[in-house]
Amino acid sequence: MTKPFGRLAAGSAVVLIALWASLGSGAAGVPRQTKAVPRSSIGAAQRPLRAERNPLRLGRRGYASDRVMVRFRPDVDATYAEAVLRSYGFPAVRRIGHGGVYSVRTTAGATVAQTLFMLRRNPDIDLARPDYRVRLADVPNDPYFQDYQYNLRNRGGILDISPDLQLPMTAGADIKATTAWDSVKGDANTIIAIVDTGVDMTHPDLADKIVSTGHDFANDDDDATDDVWHGTHVAGIAAADTNNNVGIAGVAWNCRILPVKVTDATGEGYYSWIIDGITWAADNGAKVINVSLGGDVADPLLEDACKYAHDKGVVIVAAAGNGGTLGVSYPAAYDNYVLAVAASDYTDTIAGFSSYGPEVDVAAPGVWILAPAPQWYVGSGYLPYLFASGTSMASPHVAGLAALIRSAKPDLSVDDLMKVIRYTADDVNKSVFPGRDDHAGYGRINMARALVPTILR
Amino acid sequence: MRHRRRRIGEVLAALVAVFAIGGLPGGADAAAIKIEPVAAGLSFENLSRTVVWSGDEGSAKIRANLIGARADLRLGKGATVSLSAGLSLTDFKALTFSALPVTLELGSPTLKGFFLGAEAVVPIHHFSDFEISGTGRIVYSFAMSKTWTLQDFAVEGQAAGNSSWLEAAAGPRVSYLAFGRIVPFVEVWARWLHAGFDMTETLGDLSGSQARRVRGDLSFSVALGADARVTEHIGVQAKVGFLPYAGGVDGAASVGILYKF
Repeated sequence: MTKPFGRLAAGSAVVLIALWASLGSGAAGVPRQTKAVPRSSIGAAQRPLRAERNPLRLGRRGYASDRVMVRFRPDVDATYAEAVLRSYGFPAVRRIGHGGVYSVRTTAGATVAQTLFMLRRNPDIDLARPDYRVRLADVPNDPYFQDYQYNLRNRGGILDISPDLQLPMTAGADIKATTAWDSVKGDANTIIAIVDTGVDMTHPDLADKIVSTGHDFANDDDDATDDVWHGTHVAGIAAADTNNNVGIAGVAWNCRILPVKVTDATGEGYYSWIIDGITWAADNGAKVINVSLGGDVADPLLEDACKYAHDKGVVIVAAAGNGGTLGVSYPAAYDNYVLAVAASDYTDTIAGFSSYGPEVDVAAPGVWILAPAPQWYVGSGYLPYLFASGTSMASPHVAGLAALIRSAKPDLSVDDLMKVIRYTADDVNKSVFPGRDDHAGYGRINMARALVPTILR
Repeated sequence: MRHRRRRIGEVLAALVAVFAIGGLPGGADAAAIKIEPVAAGLSFENLSRTVVWSGDEGSAKIRANLIGARADLRLGKGATVSLSAGLSLTDFKALTFSALPVTLELGSPTLKGFFLGAEAVVPIHHFSDFEISGTGRIVYSFAMSKTWTLQDFAVEGQAAGNSSWLEAAAGPRVSYLAFGRIVPFVEVWARWLHAGFDMTETLGDLSGSQARRVRGDLSFSVALGADARVTEHIGVQAKVGFLPYAGGVDGAASVGILYKF
């Protein structure tokens, strides 16, 4: 097969590549949307986290040792019920829920079993049970996870970007990462190639996740160090070091990163470099390739490169584009080989800057996403993290999910894996566009539905 | 379907073998074997087995309830064969199909099907008030299938499960005959279980299937039981068994009510 690079060198047109999030190009003229995290906010950011490791697993019979729950028969009056419970000498009685249910604290020295035995003998009591523990979905200890990573777990409230940027969030507008991590955290042998501006391999939240120094096709060397910021941010979203007490959590908890640099220091590049980057990543162990950049022109050589990687069993995920108009960028638009990702926000609304078209497969959070950035870029006085927006930020969420699915199901074909991601998505804009549509595709990805076993009853 | 035909064939072959048992001692020829119906009635059995499905590291439980009709036949030389058939209700809780595109796990669905069974008791030796018999049993539960709708996906989806299991057991029984109308016994069995569950998943144009198998799970049980003649024609047989395994005990219980001719 003729090398694509050689053919291009023979005189094919060269197309400049725009980087969406950094250059803000596109018809909509989306401004650069980044915000650094000042060190002055450290106090607010470093709220103490509860240690939530080693959650109880389903099936373990843990229950409170000092209280039980009691339900009276429906015909028993509440006043009478409470008098009955007080007559037992319980130190505390509290009505919970509805329908005559109480939580009672056991008397000193009495076990739960003894208390239940005594209560069950009362003919007015319908049910007496231990107060079982619940299992908390696996939550990482990364300090910025709780308050800033709505994309992974959104509990509602306010996204506190800065004093002049306080954004009300919708609870549940997230990709259900914590529930999914209970089942799958990924495999260190599953590698995500970040085809981008390079990666800051010294960043404390990335250093331990880097497979190798990768390859730089702009400068033709084996050092894919980021000289922009974009690739570092994208890499962090996909697979930052998670549960390491540092920074943020990456989607693909245990998976690792292969940096592939396809732009120069200005953030510009060429199709030939992307073609080389995709091909090289597929030949060097990547199971997933993320391409958070692209162009407006269809190119059969670029498509061939995507087909090459696809046929080698590699899942390719790419940003749909930030034009805010009809027209998905390339390579995202190569439907047969690439998952095209639109951007949603902290209320599960599709971002206005997100390009749309029939090629859009799914959406993922891409508005004010906190992720790593090189220290030299953010400057002293700022933490090495940035809030940024763009379909560039949305795409690595899907790349991370693809890596987790690949870790759990190594025998699943690429086409089937892509379908799993599509068909398990949440139709977040069904009130306007029910079913699959050009703006959100099948919907905002749902990691839990893709990775947690579906229970058949 | 071929798998099921093979299993039914195995059961029928076992039935033939059971009939032949009565003729084995002394090498009597076929003409000497008398087959005489002696009782008919209903039977109920509850069975629990802890097994390890192929590919799993942990164990899971198979729980079954068998409700059916039963006919007892007496063969020559005191051997008795019980044939039964009826409804099978089996629970494969927590069985997981992780090779499917979207992993499925059985919650607590009960699969309904049918069963065929045969049990033989062949007296071997009499001493004092005790009788030692050789006993054997084979039960095949089949045609257990169920379909589930997969909800909350972006496309329509469905899962279809098909399962069967076969248990063969054999061992000695020691009966105490001195009580007359009530004959208590203790029975020790080696029990071999084979089970299968095929699951197919369809989500839009995405589909997958996975077969889970238990191949030859061997267990031992000790059962205490009694045959009681309640009236001239009504008899009751009850049995409770314990199947120990590493980390616990499974149970089995059966009861039959028979009209004796």
